[in-house]
Amino acid sequence: MFVLLPLARAEETPVAGDALVVGSIGDASRLVPILASDSASGDIVGLLFNGLLKYNERLEIVGDLAESWLVSPDGLTLTFTLRPHLRWHDGAALTAEDVRFTYERLIDPAVRTPFSSSYELVQSLEVLDPRTIRVQYKEPFAPALESWMMGIIPKHLLEGQDLNTTPFLRQPVGHGPYKFKRWKTGELIELAANEDYFEHRPQLDRYLYRIIPDQATLFLELLTHGIDLASLTPLQYQRQTSTPAIARQFQKFRYPSFGFTYLGYNLQDARFRDVRVRQAINLAIDKDALIQGVLYGLGSAATGPYPKESWAYDPAIRPPPFDLEAARRLLGEAGWLDRDGDGWLDREGQAFRFTLMTNQGNEVRRQVAELIQRQLKLLGIDAQIRIIEWSVFVHEFIDKRRFEVVLLAWNLSRDPDIYDLFHSSKTKEGEYNFIGYSNPEVDRLLIEGRRVFDQTQRQAIYRRVHRLLYEDQPYTFLYVPDALPIIDSRFRHVVATPIGIGYNLIDWYVPQPEQRYRRMAP
Amino acid sequence: MRYLLGRVLGLVPVLGLITILSFGLMHLAPGKPTDAATQFNPKVSLEVRQRMEQLYGLDQPLPVQYARWLSRLARLDFGRSFIDDRPVITKIAERLPLTIGINVLVVLLVWGLAIPLGAWAALRPGSVFDRATTVFVFLGYSVPTFWLALIVMALFGVRLQWLPISGLHSLDAEAWPWAWQAWDLARHLLLPVGVMVFVSLAGISRYMRSSMVEVLRQDYIRTARAKGLPETRVVFHHGLRNALLPIITILGFELPALISGSVVMETIFALPGMGRLFYEAVMARDYAVVMALVTIGAVLTMLGNLLADVAYAWADPRIRVSARA
Repeated sequence: MFVLLPLARAEETPVAGDALVVGSIGDASRLVPILASDSASGDIVGLLFNGLLKYNERLEIVGDLAESWLVSPDGLTLTFTLRPHLRWHDGAALTAEDVRFTYERLIDPAVRTPFSSSYELVQSLEVLDPRTIRVQYKEPFAPALESWMMGIIPKHLLEGQDLNTTPFLRQPVGHGPYKFKRWKTGELIELAANEDYFEHRPQLDRYLYRIIPDQATLFLELLTHGIDLASLTPLQYQRQTSTPAIARQFQKFRYPSFGFTYLGYNLQDARFRDVRVRQAINLAIDKDALIQGVLYGLGSAATGPYPKESWAYDPAIRPPPFDLEAARRLLGEAGWLDRDGDGWLDREGQAFRFTLMTNQGNEVRRQVAELIQRQLKLLGIDAQIRIIEWSVFVHEFIDKRRFEVVLLAWNLSRDPDIYDLFHSSKTKEGEYNFIGYSNPEVDRLLIEGRRVFDQTQRQAIYRRVHRLLYEDQPYTFLYVPDALPIIDSRFRHVVATPIGIGYNLIDWYVPQPEQRYRRMAP
Repeated sequence: MRYLLGRVLGLVPVLGLITILSFGLMHLAPGKPTDAATQFNPKVSLEVRQRMEQLYGLDQPLPVQYARWLSRLARLDFGRSFIDDRPVITKIAERLPLTIGINVLVVLLVWGLAIPLGAWAALRPGSVFDRATTVFVFLGYSVPTFWLALIVMALFGVRLQWLPISGLHSLDAEAWPWAWQAWDLARHLLLPVGVMVFVSLAGISRYMRSSMVEVLRQDYIRTARAKGLPETRVVFHHGLRNALLPIITILGFELPALISGSVVMETIFALPGMGRLFYEAVMARDYAVVMALVTIGAVLTMLGNLLADVAYAWADPRIRVSARA
């Protein structure tokens, strides 16, 4: 969704040249796709390496290195055919052997990759010819398609090396739209356009990734054009970038991020096992007030685990009305009434009091907790806020189930599979159904959703999951925050889509007269 | 000589204790270096998380981990970072020159400014100059560093556009002739160094002032004046030299500070120095980097103390005599 459309410009033909300077809070750590677990490494690796598949701007799975792919009718075999004439940045041919090599490193127990779980169901991977790979699964696994978006790494450069410590981690050779040029730790990573990229050469000659660890400095650098692209905070978006001068110099975008903030109930607690109590809390929390209060309106109310853009989102589910009376009625049915007239609901002589826990260091989350505390007080529920350092919070309270209600957020991948969050088998210490949710129908649907590849069928399944979760309220889904990128207005062809703005980076360009950085010799 | 040897040998058990304590504390803090990559990511199964911990040797009992670390240290090997698997020593070497450079510059400027300021103020206690410097240095002492940093950035960087806001180099500075590069570097350093000097003036200049006031009250100064020495000789030869003695002690304490860097300044000005390295390592539970920095810091602190003692003994005959006795 466009918020500030750049003023209509005369049609121009894209020209090569100029550089894009991106500001980032953190530095990268390892520039190899199967080891890149932090977001900065992910940003860079995504420009150097492609996967077999990718999401397009409408969040559909399409071929990337793979020209075509085939799912067998029983869902057990995936066959990928690579595009012809793929080349590494050093000129070597990229073949099916590289794909096999990548897979073998991913499942190699000595490689310190956190991504191996997605390949556990693979029975075998065969190279049929230099352009064809066949993957056999033990059982059908639809989220597997997403796992083949993993960047492919070069066999000819990495074979026989210890992948954990190879110098390649800091001077990678990829095959993507940009080539690695240099990395000054803690300062800058520089990439240069790949002249031979299979789609077409990126228009922008260079991609510079500046590491600026302070949000305020990042913003000042943006104002003075030291960087071209950054993410804004809601406050910066609404209050500090609204002058006409800034509107002229920058394009601002706004689209929902893939994640949601929620209240999670410990369902072992008798009070929260009663679905009426959870529904009542959902009715009594005014999500729009939260979004206005802490995100300056830059978010949307959530009704389930999917953002509106996802095909798994059921649009028939409306955000619940803010209705204190209905909430009181539900609580009354559950036996919670203010019998002693002290303003707090009680049952069997116990007032309704619980600890709302969240992690330290997240200002927005602290404010949300306070607003919820105030809103629940109107209902007669006493929520005590406790803010705990992240590691302690996870290890001592979440993992050991020592909480009543937590305020947290999930950032999820684009595939709607949420087996790990809500399936009743995922409740061991360290697993993610820490609330202890169990609904046989949800269990069945979550398994089925993994076994079916057809998107229409999966859509029906996950919309049903969305509906059931909404009715059961194991979480109170609060809101989906918006992503708020801002970019210098000299860049053309930047558009916001459900997947964000970066998907067509190779088409961005700057008209000749506006180019800021001199052309580099190729 | 024997005094020196005894002092050095006495440091070894202290160092051992410091490393055991910091190793224990570091591991007592909840969380593991592998958490950032694996935690709260539904795509990472429990088994994979445990395997990652095994691969880094984090499943071993603490004494075993400490013994491994110590045996590596004996071979002067600080191990590899858990974050990017690079040798810790490389990571430190990469950051050290900037931090030492900035700190030496700051210390020189602070001392160069604070000693004359303090001494001058002490000559005329209560004068306008004395009061003005007091207000000035305490302004620097009490203003929050990050706030001042942002204000000068907004003023000189955004409003006036005289100076770059953050970082060390302009984007394509590598291609420039060296004189331009040096000018570029100086422009980038002006704001952070300026702020750091301003906020640390107070300490040394106040020390200098009180020490000088103290000395000027001594009998030997009165004697020197009484025997008709010119005032400049009284102040510089007899006064200043004696007033500098306690200041030398402080210099010794500054040795470890030279490599520690400032988290706040380096973060705000986006300078890749030691402060940020340490802070980020603690946050990520990067045990290898933290332990290396703690150990180096401890060694330098002890050396600094030793150096101050030696310098003191050299400057003040009374100490030499009493040590020998």
